[in-house]
Parts: sequence; structure tokens; C-alpha cells
Amino acid sequence: MKLKGEMSMLNVLHVQELDLEKLCAELEQKRDEAPQFFMKSPIIVDCADLGDAAEQLDFSLLRQKLLELGFIPVGIRNNPVEMNARLVDAGWAIMRESRPSTASTEVSGDVSAETNQQAEVAQQDEPQAAPQVAPVGIKSLTIDRPVRSGQQVYAADADMTVLAQTSAGSEIMADGSIHVYGPLRGRVLAGARGNEQARIFCQSLQAELIAIAGRYQLLDESDTELKGKPAMIRLDGEKLIIEPLAH
Amino acid sequence: MSKVIVVTSGKGGVGKTTSSAAFAAGLAAKGHKTAVIDFDVGLRNLDLIMGVERRVVYDFVNVINGEATLKQALIKDKRVDNLYILPASQTRDKDALSKEGVESVINELKKEFDFIVCDSPAGIEKGAFMALYFADEAIIVTNPEVSSVRDSDRILGILQSRSKAAEDGKTVKEHLLITRYSPDRVEGGDMLGMDDIVEILSVPLIGVIPESGSVLQASNSGNPVIMDKDSEAGQAYQDVVARFLGEEVPLRFIDVEPKKGFFQKLFG
Ligand SMILES: Nc1ncnc2c1ncn2[C@@H]1O[C@H](COP(=O)(O)OP(=O)(O)OP(=O)(O)O)[C@@H](O)[C@H]1O
Ligand SMILES: [Mg+2]
Repeated sequence: MKLKGEMSMLNVLHVQELDLEKLCAELEQKRDEAPQFFMKSPIIVDCADLGDAAEQLDFSLLRQKLLELGFIPVGIRNNPVEMNARLVDAGWAIMRESRPSTASTEVSGDVSAETNQQAEVAQQDEPQAAPQVAPVGIKSLTIDRPVRSGQQVYAADADMTVLAQTSAGSEIMADGSIHVYGPLRGRVLAGARGNEQARIFCQSLQAELIAIAGRYQLLDESDTELKGKPAMIRLDGEKLIIEPLAH
Repeated sequence: MSKVIVVTSGKGGVGKTTSSAAFAAGLAAKGHKTAVIDFDVGLRNLDLIMGVERRVVYDFVNVINGEATLKQALIKDKRVDNLYILPASQTRDKDALSKEGVESVINELKKEFDFIVCDSPAGIEKGAFMALYFADEAIIVTNPEVSSVRDSDRILGILQSRSKAAEDGKTVKEHLLITRYSPDRVEGGDMLGMDDIVEILSVPLIGVIPESGSVLQASNSGNPVIMDKDSEAGQAYQDVVARFLGEEVPLRFIDVEPKKGFFQKLFG
């Protein structure tokens, strides 16, 4: 078993053996090394290393175990295609393999399938987690109500616009850029699957954590003079740049 | 059209039951047929605060299990017309509440009552979830302290993502009720101010109830504090009911009592 960050805050679990007990024990150990980091973090299961043996794994149980461990199972990729229907029944979304640089421009048949299935995952999730997805064909997710403490909103393969506030203890995440028009108080993660061009725009920067393409920074008062002010955050090489939004 | 209103908070001990009793009694006193349900299965508190604990024969869980009819379990208040109490069971655990069971009780109540007030238990587990699931409106009870505000924020998220209204693509109307407010302690910096709480939660304020000894007195004597016309807390709850029913009433008891300064003492 191998657990990697993959240039983003979205963790990918590479399953390499069929023994679920063992897998979960190892995963639990990993989680406990950095519980703050992994708690309630989305996770993708990659079956590439298993090949056709993936057929023998109980994915419904795996999903349940991941939830119990505090992860938010988002989707599965590189599984044998014959399994798709069964995986969806078990509450999983089928994901394409991530191709960060092209992800934002890619529109293909399975995008709609992916979005629909993720919407399904959202319903079955724990109260704390409500990943949402942009409607099919529209590459932007608009949230018009506050994102509250304990809630998580994820715009898969899309930009996100939040018209209300995000609370301390909430998390918003998009594969593209994020715009927030109310106070931004929670965690905010743009370019969640590695898009380094993604940016964060907000009217009142009070975020607990900012991240673009996996480069993250905790914000406390000393970090920026722009606290409470309109700001834009972009990535310059490995460094997050916080700039005033209005000139 | 009858309305289901949940009184909830996330955090425990902030004044949900006190507020449920006062609010329900206030609505009934204004002529609206009102039922108040205790969702705190296993603890039972509402019947005490409303002074009807000796009259409890059947409870909410008995009705859900078909061991009693709703009519048998509802306790009619002797002081206020139009007011009925559905007590919780002391002996069962929260798993006794099933979604279907709660739904059938609420639907039956809807046929007869204008308002159904649901007194939620603390926490964000099953009991609290059941209390809010069928709500049309919510009164979020918050104390002026950081942990209470944070828990209110959490419960607001659950309300708007997991309630029946949310599942049907609708929203639950939110009201913020700040209780145990002590202007002196806000001034002294020990407690969060009213404006800060509204700013953090961004929910319309329906009232501020001051910290007051009359609340404990009222609950010890089994009279909802709203019936104590001399108490500031009682008057503040009256205002809450009026606002809920659409009246415009200014906030009271939110400022520090002016202390007379040296010159005021001399000339005043
Ligand atoms: N405005 C107030 N002034 C003074 N004391 C108050 C006030 N409101 C509530 N209290 C006191 O706070 C305590 C808790 O109140 P209450 O039982 O209404 O809270 P609750 O939120 O229902 O608690 P639980 O979460 O346990 O159900 C009681 O002792 C009550 O008398
Ligand atoms: Mg109570």
C-alpha cells in the first residue's frame, strides 16, 4: 500500500493488495502520523496496481472503512471497466486518471457520468461532508448559501463561486479557481488536482488555510496585511502570492 | 398552514428547553394552537420546566410505537389555552425515534395545530437530527461565547444540507436567538458582543435574552419564564414571539445599565 499527496490536497490511495484488514491498518497508521492533515480529507482509490484482481475486492466495505477512518471517499480510477456499474452501486464515483495540465479543458463523454455519480456520493456522505458538483456541461459551481463549519464543498473539474460566507472550520475546494464574495473564513483549496494556474479571489480574506495545487499556507494574522480585505492568491513557482484585489 | 419550528443549538445547556417552553407558551397565549415536543429522549426536561411532570402518563416514544394515541399522550397546559406538551420518555434511548415514526406524529399534529415547536437535544447526533429533520423554520439558540457560536454554525450547516427541506431543494428559515446575554460581561470583554455573533453567523436576529435569575426561579416553579411579566428575560421572550409573528419590536436589555458618574450623582 502507498498513500500519496499527488501535487494536490486530494490524496490518492494506490491499492496494491487485496487484504482489506491489512490495508486499513496501514492506512490508519498513516493517518495518525498527521491526523490534522488527513481528517475529513477527500481520497481517491487507484486500482492500477491491482489490474484485474480488483474484481475480487469488496469496494463497498472499503468505502465504509474509509469513512470510518475519517476520510471522504471521492472516487475510484483505473478499475476494470466491467466493474463500473457495481462500483457506482457501492456508492463510488468513477474517475478518469488525473491529467492535471489538461483537466480543465477536457470535455468528454465520461465527464457527465463522473459528475452524476459524484452527486450520488454526496448524498450518502456523513453530515460533515457535502461534496457538490457543477451541473453537467457547466464548468462552474455556484454556491449561494453559507458554507458552514464542518461542511465541505468540492467543485470537481470546475471553478467555484461562493456568494455567501464560508465559516471557520469549513472547507471549499475546486479543481479550478475559487471566487468568494462573502467573508472567506474557512480553508480554501484551488487547483485541487494540480492546476497551478488556478487562483483564489475573495472580498474579505480571513481564511484559516489557503492552498493552490497542493502548496498550502496557514494564515494567521502575521502572514498578511490583507486580512479582512479583498485579495487574490496565485502561485508563483512554489510560493503562494497574496495580492490586493482592488487597486 | 401549520409550521414546524425546531429550537436547536449544537452545544448543550445554552437554553433550548427554556426557550422552547417560553416560545411555545408565548405563541399559545397569542391565540395560536401550539404543541411543543420534547426530543430529548432519555433525559426529559421540558415537562419539568413546564411544570407538568406529574401529569405524564404516555410519551412521544409510546405514540411512535403505537402503545398510545397522540391524544392520550398530549398534555394540555392548565394555565395557557391552546398549549399542549408532548413529553419525552425517560427510559428509552434516542434510537427509539425513527424517521417514519416522527413523521407520522408530526403529520398528525399538523392537522390540528398552528405551530409545532421541537425542543432539540444537544449535539449533532440522532436526536438532534430527528428534531430538525422536518422543520420549516429553526431558532438557533446561541450563548455569547466562541464554542457556542461555532456549534451553532455547525448545526446550521446540517440544517441546510440534511433536513427534509434541504433534500427537497428548499431552505429552512433561520432565526438567531442569543440567550444568557450579559451586557456587562460583553463590555468587559469576557463575552462576544451581539454584533459579532450576528456577523460570524450571518443569520437574522430574532431576539436577545438577558442572563437573569428569574429563569432558574421560573423553571424551579414549573412556570415558563415568559409568564413572569416582571422579569427582563420574560419580556425579552415576549418580544421574540411578537417578532416571530411579524411585529417590529426594538431590542431591549442589550446595553449596560448606565452607572451614575460623579457629576450625575451631584446634579442628577
Ligand atoms: N437567560 C437565562 N438566564 C439565566 N439562566 C439561564 C437562562 N437561560 C437558560 N438558563 C439556565 O441554563 C441552564 C440550561 O438551560 P436549558 O435547560 O434551557 O438549556 P438546554 O439548551 O435545553 O440544555 P440541554 O442541551 O441540556 O437540553 C438552566 O439551568 C437554565 O436555568
Ligand atoms: Mg434541553
